[in-house]
Amino acid sequence: MKMILTIIFRLTVSCLIAGTIMGMTFIVTNKAKKANEFAREEKVVYSLMGYSHDNPIPDSMGMHEVFRYVVTEGDQQSIGYLVPMGAHGEGGGFSFIRISLDGTFIDQAEVVLSEDKVREIGDRDAAIQAAVGDSRQIRFTDQTIVVTDHGKRLAYLLHGKFPGFKTNIAVMLALDPAYSMVGLEVMEHEEDPGLGAEIEQDYFKNQFKYKPFDKIKSLEVVKAPMPGEYVDALEGRIDEADALKIMEQYKDQDIYALTGATISSDAVSSGVKGITKKFAYRLDILDNVLEGQQIEVPF
Amino acid sequence: MANENSSIQLVTNGILKENPIFKLALSMCPAVGISTTVMNGVMLGIAVLFVQVFSSVTISLLKNFIHPRIRIPTYTLTIATWVTVIDLTLAAYFPAAYAQMGIFVKIIVAFAIITMRLEMFACKEPVTASFWDGLGMGLGFLLGMVVIGFVRELLGSGAILGYDVLGFKPLLFFILPSAGFFVVGLMMGFFNWIEAFYAERKKG
Amino acid sequence: MNRIKYLISLICLLGLVGFAASALGAGTEFGGDNEIIIQFSSPVDKVEAADPERYIVFEESDPDIRLRITSIEVADDGREAKLIFADPLNTSNTHVVNTSDIGGAAEASFSVSKSYLGYLISILISALLINNFVFTKYLGLCVFFGTAKRKETAKGMGVVFTIVIVVAVSMSWVIFQYILKPFQLDYLQIVIFIGLTSLTVQAVDTVLRKVNPVLFKSFGVYLVLVIANCVIIAVPLLMASNGYNYFETFMLSLGAGGGFLLALYLMSSVSERVELAKVPPSFKGLPIAFIVAGQFAMAFLGFSGLQLF
Repeated sequence: MKMILTIIFRLTVSCLIAGTIMGMTFIVTNKAKKANEFAREEKVVYSLMGYSHDNPIPDSMGMHEVFRYVVTEGDQQSIGYLVPMGAHGEGGGFSFIRISLDGTFIDQAEVVLSEDKVREIGDRDAAIQAAVGDSRQIRFTDQTIVVTDHGKRLAYLLHGKFPGFKTNIAVMLALDPAYSMVGLEVMEHEEDPGLGAEIEQDYFKNQFKYKPFDKIKSLEVVKAPMPGEYVDALEGRIDEADALKIMEQYKDQDIYALTGATISSDAVSSGVKGITKKFAYRLDILDNVLEGQQIEVPF
Repeated sequence: MANENSSIQLVTNGILKENPIFKLALSMCPAVGISTTVMNGVMLGIAVLFVQVFSSVTISLLKNFIHPRIRIPTYTLTIATWVTVIDLTLAAYFPAAYAQMGIFVKIIVAFAIITMRLEMFACKEPVTASFWDGLGMGLGFLLGMVVIGFVRELLGSGAILGYDVLGFKPLLFFILPSAGFFVVGLMMGFFNWIEAFYAERKKG
Repeated sequence: MNRIKYLISLICLLGLVGFAASALGAGTEFGGDNEIIIQFSSPVDKVEAADPERYIVFEESDPDIRLRITSIEVADDGREAKLIFADPLNTSNTHVVNTSDIGGAAEASFSVSKSYLGYLISILISALLINNFVFTKYLGLCVFFGTAKRKETAKGMGVVFTIVIVVAVSMSWVIFQYILKPFQLDYLQIVIFIGLTSLTVQAVDTVLRKVNPVLFKSFGVYLVLVIANCVIIAVPLLMASNGYNYFETFMLSLGAGGGFLLALYLMSSVSERVELAKVPPSFKGLPIAFIVAGQFAMAFLGFSGLQLF
């Protein structure tokens, strides 16, 4: 009997010590993890825009985050957007704008939230829930970053996730105000190395650059070898000016598939097509509502 | 094994005579699965080194406190704790490299080699000896992973540590996961052959 | 015991699928790449059914994006309507079809999705063949090479492993859903999962010793090896990161165990032959086993991209 008690006592003590060690490590590393994630996203965002460590973004540029939610009330659904308020340059708090599924304005509620908490999904959801009331359920769907320069819209940055050949592929896109592609970055994937994983390479990703919206809407994948000069232009092996000229020539053409990875190439292309089309549709509706209701936003 | 092994002897034992990957043939899952680049090998090797050293030291410190009947659960608890610690740390401070390794860092908890080492060595030996032994085993694993990774990365993508060395990709096959089996098998055979060769030389 | 549980859950699922159809409709399904087929429980007016204006179709997660219908084909008996869309549909998402003023019903709503049973079976096949834990994910190798020498040991290890993994992962799921997730203790996953596995091994060991000593004598020795098997910790981790519900977890663990058994059986069959072949002395034993395993791994690559449902 005494032995069992000793065993239990010693085991419990060991578990407690172990738990404390793990708990402390978790607390310390969690902060670092969040900071690193944010830094990584920032880096991708800047590189999509063409900026980097040596070429930092000017102070006149602003990044404004818009979060989209689906609001359910009974069996009625509506779309809600959390937007920053105020004119360019001022901090004006946040507002939750609800739009019906047909694209008409429903209502607008002020949301109490501070700038740094808006990226924390827990705090954000709680603040919005408080603003819409308990009778409605909210579900976060996606976020967009609107980049402005001196208050004028420069680009839209979106996240997207879609099924690839193996598992899901997560990307980040940059579109200009006319919805043509500015850049594409693959964030996460589990494709085969050497085959599907080549979607991370410049010669695949950069094919999407400069494609106009009309082309993106009907984008297909073509199984043919890429012309040598196009590869050079995409990989940045030639002069920037020459590269731009060549890419201009190809901007209305379909995407050249990767060797031995047609399905991955098609997945990325369809995924990008879907994300862009949906985004363009939704942003047009949001813009209509913002204009119609004379809501002032910094973008 | 004599108890007064010097620390250097303990370490080299882990690297050569009882190398976990090539001689003991334990903990081979990552050797096959993610040894596609040298960087992966280094990261996982460091993780295993960390877990092995800390677990050995912890068990050695607590060897009088652990009741013999619950040895194994205690070992498991210790290893799991340290694996969680290194997993959280790597995920927070080296996210890019960590993403490459998938769940292999978490799987360290199931490695037979670590439990075996604790059972055979750490629960009987003093703290410093356990430390050196753990270090040796961990280094042996690290070295094994780096060597395999080196061969596969060089032959598969023509690069080392990400730097393009050859300028072309000799055989894409080598970075495909199934090649891990081939490379490890061939290297084991090669090690055996070298051993047999030296044994012959000594005899003759 | 496990087989009975499986049968019961199968029957419940089939019943659920049967009840999914609403009053107006008898069933819905995806047709080709860009088609949805609706079956009505009673014949409807063909003109009404062929009018695209009366249908609103969207993916469940994107209710504001209306999918464009290019044409509708109504069957002659008025019981079936095939909606053809402009773009290919993403069949892995549930779609919702809302009809108005068709067949006397002012408003009706149908949900279209791929069969859930098919989804569960695809998880099983995936863990068994496409993502075989030994040949595609390279886990559980130490134990694998140790027990893949004879067919009997292979079968014994495989069966014991499957039983332990199904029980251990089920328990892990319960603890994960009801304790770890609500309290945000995700970082305790590793400790809890390996702890539960040890517990299961210990429990099976004790139970088997008392209930069936004969069975214990032949299989008991494999129980200890289960803990050293990397797959046993990989499956709950996979379950946690994918957020599976209970049925999906069950299928995953069954597939993982089955896949391990399959791999062991294949390997042992070859092993017995290899022992009789002429192998260079430095390659005898493990090295040649690795090379054979490598060839199996290449063969299993052929399963990747397989989609049954």
